[in-house]
Amino acid sequence: MKSDSSASPVAHGSAADEFQDTDLLRSIEEAGIRFRVTATLVFLVILGGWVLFRRQILHGLGVTGLNQPVAWGFYIVNFVFFIGISHAGTLISAILRLSQAEWRRPITRMAEVITVIVLAIGGFHPVLDLGRPERMMNIFTVGRLQSPLLWDVTSISAYFMASTVYLFIPMIPDIALLRDRGVRPRWLYAFLAWGWQGTPRQHQVLEKAISIMMILVIPIAVSVHTVISYIFAMTLQPGWHSTIFGPYFVVGAIFSGIAALLVVMIVLRRIFRLDRYLKDVHFDPLAKLLLLMSLLWFYFTFSEYLTAFFGQEPSELRVFFHKFSGPYAPHYWGMVACNFLIPVLILSFRRSRRIPGILIASIAVVIGMWLERLNIVVPSLANPRLPYPTGFYIPSLVEWGMFAGGIGTFILGFVVFGRFFPLISIWEIQEGREKAIKETLERTQSYLPSVSASSS
Amino acid sequence: MQGKSEPGWIWALQVVSVALIWAFVLGIGIWVINLLLLSHRLKDVPSASVGISIVAIPVFLTGAGVLTYVFVGLRRGRKPDSKDTSK
Amino acid sequence: MARWGMVIDLDRCTACGACVAACHQENNLAAVGPEEATRHSRAFHWLRLLPEASGAHADVRMRYFPQPCFHCDNPPCVRVCPVGATYLGEEGIVGQIYPRCIGCRYCMAACPFNAKVFNWYDPEWPGDLERKANPDVSLRPKGVVEKCTFCHHRINRAREEARAKGRKLRDGDITPACAESCPARAIEFGDLEDPRSRVSALAHSSRAFRLHDDLGTKPKVYYLTERSEHGEDSRQRGA
Repeated sequence: MKSDSSASPVAHGSAADEFQDTDLLRSIEEAGIRFRVTATLVFLVILGGWVLFRRQILHGLGVTGLNQPVAWGFYIVNFVFFIGISHAGTLISAILRLSQAEWRRPITRMAEVITVIVLAIGGFHPVLDLGRPERMMNIFTVGRLQSPLLWDVTSISAYFMASTVYLFIPMIPDIALLRDRGVRPRWLYAFLAWGWQGTPRQHQVLEKAISIMMILVIPIAVSVHTVISYIFAMTLQPGWHSTIFGPYFVVGAIFSGIAALLVVMIVLRRIFRLDRYLKDVHFDPLAKLLLLMSLLWFYFTFSEYLTAFFGQEPSELRVFFHKFSGPYAPHYWGMVACNFLIPVLILSFRRSRRIPGILIASIAVVIGMWLERLNIVVPSLANPRLPYPTGFYIPSLVEWGMFAGGIGTFILGFVVFGRFFPLISIWEIQEGREKAIKETLERTQSYLPSVSASSS
Repeated sequence: MQGKSEPGWIWALQVVSVALIWAFVLGIGIWVINLLLLSHRLKDVPSASVGISIVAIPVFLTGAGVLTYVFVGLRRGRKPDSKDTSK
Repeated sequence: MARWGMVIDLDRCTACGACVAACHQENNLAAVGPEEATRHSRAFHWLRLLPEASGAHADVRMRYFPQPCFHCDNPPCVRVCPVGATYLGEEGIVGQIYPRCIGCRYCMAACPFNAKVFNWYDPEWPGDLERKANPDVSLRPKGVVEKCTFCHHRINRAREEARAKGRKLRDGDITPACAESCPARAIEFGDLEDPRSRVSALAHSSRAFRLHDDLGTKPKVYYLTERSEHGEDSRQRGA
């Protein structure tokens, strides 16, 4: 079957001749009825969303809950939400690679897949929100560069391109493995493997390319969410026109991204029985990072709202109280509970910082961050400066349907990806076994005081 | 199985896909330049926006460049005994 | 080059709403219906009567601002439009290019005065209103944003007539529909940069103020505060 050491992408002549990671190929080689049923069910949910959306195409945006003055709602909330999740993907994977954190090895693939999928979903949401989507090409023919929406189109496209490249390049050795094992469809893997043989020269090329991308992707990722925040911050609306929005959104994006990553890791670990690869030691640092981000998020949120309240500017106060004690109080305090209280309570203590607790905390954060996006978009629009009556927003079935469809697309993306490609980077695990231990040992030794010339 | 080169049509498809990526990136470049020229003609765009857009183009070029580097590099790095010798 | 502006005298205004009705008729505004306007909060006006209550019980004062688009000279809506469908014209009118608008509603979110409205559905004109549409004003489809245009079609028409008669435009040649219909003659329209025009004089009066001009958008619609019984304006009274 598979025991020719010189043939595998693994380094040659290693003691572990046998391929140890067949577990990771199970989802691909043994895909059967479970895959088909799941994929079909999720696809039906997505289809349902589109059937509902047909109403909007036929009749117009009137079928949504949007109105005067709340002209933006779920579509924009989900736009920001999904793109926010994209951060942990590439950002964490890039930062972990950059800092040579060895525990990243089973995580990077899932993280990068998350990014690509949610960028596609999130990036498409503004199109769903358009009154005349067929005129979208106007953005390309007569686009105005001073508009923050245009900056968005540019930066999100750049991020999508960079993260797709950053996902694909480290996948090449694994694709070559699948090609060599004869997994069907053979032409697909042969096409994508780009002639990989695992030679030292090829490894060099790959490492170099990954290093370039991991550095390039970080400023792009930061810019994407900053630019998204500028959509709001560059207007004069109370509650939006705040200089803190750039960093606030980036922090929030990293926060929600890590939470989503943890949920994905825990769920996939369960479904594909990856306990050997995703151990407690992989979850613990991410959980601590989530705790840290929760505290950081709280700090930014506190600053934002204290500033608004302390200034006592009437328009700002109206928006503030709309969230604090008004119609949006449940959403606001729900957000604080989900983003701060629950994660801090669970993740601060080692006893609860285990996988079940981490799952609860992460799901809470994902919900809380969605609420945060809602709290940013609607209350500011609902409280105009001029003495209009306070606005309201009741999302309609179409908007809920597209929300469900968006989540469904995310799940379907993973289901399909896992059907054709390994969810954990096999060659990086093998590299970890063979090279990383020695390298880490040498690196740690280099940090310690040098040995004097006299001793050996 | 191992070390064998792909059939010719797959190789052609790979080249086409890389070419398409370059077409995409160049398309984006043309689009951004088009918008820059438009904003110059109308003279109403803050310099920051122009700066951001100008920075965007090298990012796309780098992405396509890295992909091409990998594609060519992997071809070149193949073992010499394989049928499809590197150029 | 003219710079069109408007002055609305709150002392003369009785909030009768004739201006609102005239604007609807002149500019072929769609009728959204009572259900949409109230339950779904999608009232559709280019010029609206904005009620402002001040004071406490037993001494509540209501004011009604006829509020069109202010045609700001530093318009936030223009700056955020991704396709340039809303733009600041040479004569100070913030225009809207309906065929170009993609309906993203960013301008609606950015306008501090909520001057813009959106066609949530295909526009409808009940009865025979559609037959009586004003041919000078284009009809808008669903999915695009629209707003008060200072009746620029009347400006163009006045220009053509003046040219046909071989003379220049005079102050008073142009009246938007709202100004024309006001029985109290509370709305004045004209060239703010013409020192001899009525709007120019009124805009510089001690009673003149603009809504939220602290935002720096430079609105070109001025309001004149109410006078007291004795003819003083409310500022002199210290109100």
